[in-house]
Amino acid sequence: MVRLRFLGFRLLSLAGLLLVLSLVLFLLQEISDADPVAATIGGNASPEAIAAARERLGLDRPPVERYLAYLGGLVTGDMGTSFRTHRDVTTDIATYLPATVELVLFAFVVALVLGVLFAVSSLLRWPLAGPFRGLLFVGSTAPTFLLGLVGLVVFYQLLGWLPASGRGGVTDGPTGMTLLDSLLAGDLAAAGDALQHLALPALALAVGPALAIGRVLRSSLTETLGSDFVRTATSKGLTEPQVLVRHVLRNSVNAALSMSALQLGFMFGGVLLVEGVFTWGGLGSYLAASLPVSDFPAIAGVTFVLGALYVTVNTVADVLQSVADPRIRVS
Amino acid sequence: METAAPPRPETPTAPASEDGPVARLGGLRVSLERNGVRTQVLHGIDLEIGRGEIVGVVGESGSGKSVMSQALLGLLPATSRPVVEGDLQAAGLDLRTASDAELREVRRTHLGVVFQDPMTSLNPTMHVGRQVAEKAGSAEEAVRLMRAVGIPQPERRYRSFPHELSGGLRQRVMIAMAVAGGPKLLVADEPTTALDVTVQAQVLDLLGSMRDELGCSIVLITHDLGVAAQVADRIVVMYRGRVVETGSTRQVLEQPRHPYTRGLLASRLSLDSDRTRPLWTLPVHATVPADEGCPFTARCAFRQDGCSAGVPVLAHVPAEDDGGAAAAVGHEVACFETARVAATAAGREELDPLPPLPEVGTGAPLVAAADVACTFQVRDERGRRADLAALRGVTFDLQPGESVAIVGESGSGKSTLLRVAGGLEKRFTGSLRGPSGTDVQMVFQDAGSSLTPWMTVRELLHERVRDAARPEREERVRAILDRVGLPDAVLDARPGELSGGQRQRVALARATVVPPKILLCDEPTSALDVSVAANVLNLVNELRRDLGIAVMFVTHDLAVARIVGDRIAVMYLGRIVELGRAEDVIADPQHPYTRTLVDAVPQPGRTVVPLAGEPASALDPPSGCAFHPRCPVALAECASTVTGIQLAAVDGRPTSDVARHEVACVRTGAAR
Repeated sequence: MVRLRFLGFRLLSLAGLLLVLSLVLFLLQEISDADPVAATIGGNASPEAIAAARERLGLDRPPVERYLAYLGGLVTGDMGTSFRTHRDVTTDIATYLPATVELVLFAFVVALVLGVLFAVSSLLRWPLAGPFRGLLFVGSTAPTFLLGLVGLVVFYQLLGWLPASGRGGVTDGPTGMTLLDSLLAGDLAAAGDALQHLALPALALAVGPALAIGRVLRSSLTETLGSDFVRTATSKGLTEPQVLVRHVLRNSVNAALSMSALQLGFMFGGVLLVEGVFTWGGLGSYLAASLPVSDFPAIAGVTFVLGALYVTVNTVADVLQSVADPRIRVS
Repeated sequence: METAAPPRPETPTAPASEDGPVARLGGLRVSLERNGVRTQVLHGIDLEIGRGEIVGVVGESGSGKSVMSQALLGLLPATSRPVVEGDLQAAGLDLRTASDAELREVRRTHLGVVFQDPMTSLNPTMHVGRQVAEKAGSAEEAVRLMRAVGIPQPERRYRSFPHELSGGLRQRVMIAMAVAGGPKLLVADEPTTALDVTVQAQVLDLLGSMRDELGCSIVLITHDLGVAAQVADRIVVMYRGRVVETGSTRQVLEQPRHPYTRGLLASRLSLDSDRTRPLWTLPVHATVPADEGCPFTARCAFRQDGCSAGVPVLAHVPAEDDGGAAAAVGHEVACFETARVAATAAGREELDPLPPLPEVGTGAPLVAAADVACTFQVRDERGRRADLAALRGVTFDLQPGESVAIVGESGSGKSTLLRVAGGLEKRFTGSLRGPSGTDVQMVFQDAGSSLTPWMTVRELLHERVRDAARPEREERVRAILDRVGLPDAVLDARPGELSGGQRQRVALARATVVPPKILLCDEPTSALDVSVAANVLNLVNELRRDLGIAVMFVTHDLAVARIVGDRIAVMYLGRIVELGRAEDVIADPQHPYTRTLVDAVPQPGRTVVPLAGEPASALDPPSGCAFHPRCPVALAECASTVTGIQLAAVDGRPTSDVARHEVACVRTGAAR
């Protein structure tokens, strides 16, 4: 099956990209002046203690061996011990990742909804399309953190509608995502609380991507609507919804799909700043605390996880594209 | 301000009953908005389509024929804010006042459409069978229809995507979709223009048989009178949004009464066009349409002062003009000077013969290709790696100053051969000697995209004469512009502001302002209107005679090849199958494929017997002689032959003789 081969090819290149990423992270660690020994046992330890620590950390072995050990660790989920928290980086990330993933995914859904609204409203010339487009446009030109600050001033300080920081909702559920956990627990009030906390940071994160997705979707919808096969579909006597759903949509989603994946990837980077503005207890806060103390295992761990998410998202989009358009195959 | 020519007899309006016309346009006026400017596209069209009738609507670009067909289907694009006045009825429904639901219902059950390009007209992401089923109602019915239109293995093809089918099969899918539900009216808008000649004949044949089986009426929109002549019962000639002549196919072809119809017929290339004289051409479009008076005045050879006084309306051709009362029935023409036109013999005035060509030397050839093969790595329709054999051993030479036309269907390798000969394609095996650099110039089909859009014509031409002394440059640019027949005013225009014919002239001017040794032309006329194309062909012939340039001219049209080529090379699937002097190849084709091509040229008054099958795929060329699966005289050995694929002289002339006639076929002569 060609479809399976395509899938296999994509997965293979995904693995290759992750391998390259791990190598880059390892090399960065090698050339950085962060001293893991000093970080673990303190700056004024005896030479014997230092030698023992070096041996324990494997620093006396040749680089290739150390890389393979690092790689083996990644595969088995061992990303070393944080200099700062003295816990396994994997445990730390598992603690903070759900908050970040929840924020990004929620923001992504918001971006998709806004993007589709943008495309459809300006195509069908809805009455409020103009102001909506203007608002989105202004919003997307502002940097994310500025947008977050303005949102805080307006909705928290002036109107008092939304909370300024934290996550709210059920905090000790199984998934670690407050909105999802609240819903799983059947606690609607907690879900509402979680939603209120999510709203501002998600909106700040979503406005830019929404415009990018909306623009791409609008232009491909416009192109598809003017194409010959849509004229053929109309001439067959199909109703307008039939033409739109069966013939227009599937032929228009491709560009929007890859733009969405790209934006979702960017959002995993952008979320770090937004988390800072809203003191959102996710990977961003963890990274922000790790950076000043050169906690390299933690920094590398977060980078690897975010990078892996980015690459995975784009691979999924590629596969989805080949499903939507049979002409796209290995190329 | 419509001044009456001879009054039109009253025709009783037929009631919209079972015997009435399938469609009726009465005084139909349509205006559309383009870039914010409203233009009147149709100026009062009167037309009735009778039951089971095939009506050929013929006209050049800008005649309004496509807008008329869209109006007939209620498909005028909403973005151009159409304003429709007059009577517009199809299948018993008034399309102007019909609700959306009524329109959909009549489209689904009573109307069918076949568009020009089946590749873009089919949804690329939906199985073709499902697309047919959408109109047919069920998968079983879709398969039945696909079988009925001659798609082999319809059950298997049901699950194909459009890009997995050949052009001919795709158009058959469109036709299956169009005839689903047994429509009363089929509108076919240039259904064969994007297809190869042999496939064109098949599709026209299929349309005719659909009418015979279903009894539906067909409106066949085409720019080619020859195509209309093949299947139409009646022909309607349109010019600038008006019907200028209508009558039975015989009347219009044999006794054309409108100067425009005569012009179209005369500028139409056929296999008997005189090669020794320039082609007769209609004067090209006047850039500004006449505001009042007969719209054709500016181009008309019969015009008189009175012609600009009013617009002539359609009127019956007097019987005596037509050589018999019976013949004149239904023959109408819109012209003030009908009597004078009738009194003048049809045909065209004789143009002065072209100067004789200098003797083509038999010395060192400009291009000498020996056993050139060219294979490209591509992906086939299922995404697998595949070898596309574009050229499979071509031996060919071009003498200084001579012109060779290369004829073939799509995928025959003709354009690749051109690129190899011009040094533009380096990935080949075999030996090749030829000039390079500025000694070779090329002109393409789409002059629009081969001229840099933001440069003016002056800049485009000056680029090529940079080596000349500064004062001399402008002089040479103006000289070449004069030679290609463009006014100096064009110098400051950009390509986008010019018409298609003008752009092709600029492309030719650019290629020849410094005369190259070889001019390579890749279908430069196939996107142009008939009369404009004739002009460009004349220009190519003139340039090569005056400047002594050798020409390689790629075309899919044998009639064009015969006009521009001293010799013709016929290609099939990467090989030259026949090569010889133009008159020998056309008058006495030796290869069965050449014979098929000659027979497939649409020519009024000749029935075409279409060749079955599709052109073979260059991804998987048949063994032996690649033509054998379609060949009417093939023997068993043709599948394995190696001798029959080499060119061999048929007239006993030595290989050194430029005029020799060669063919690659073991059955040479058997096709007769």
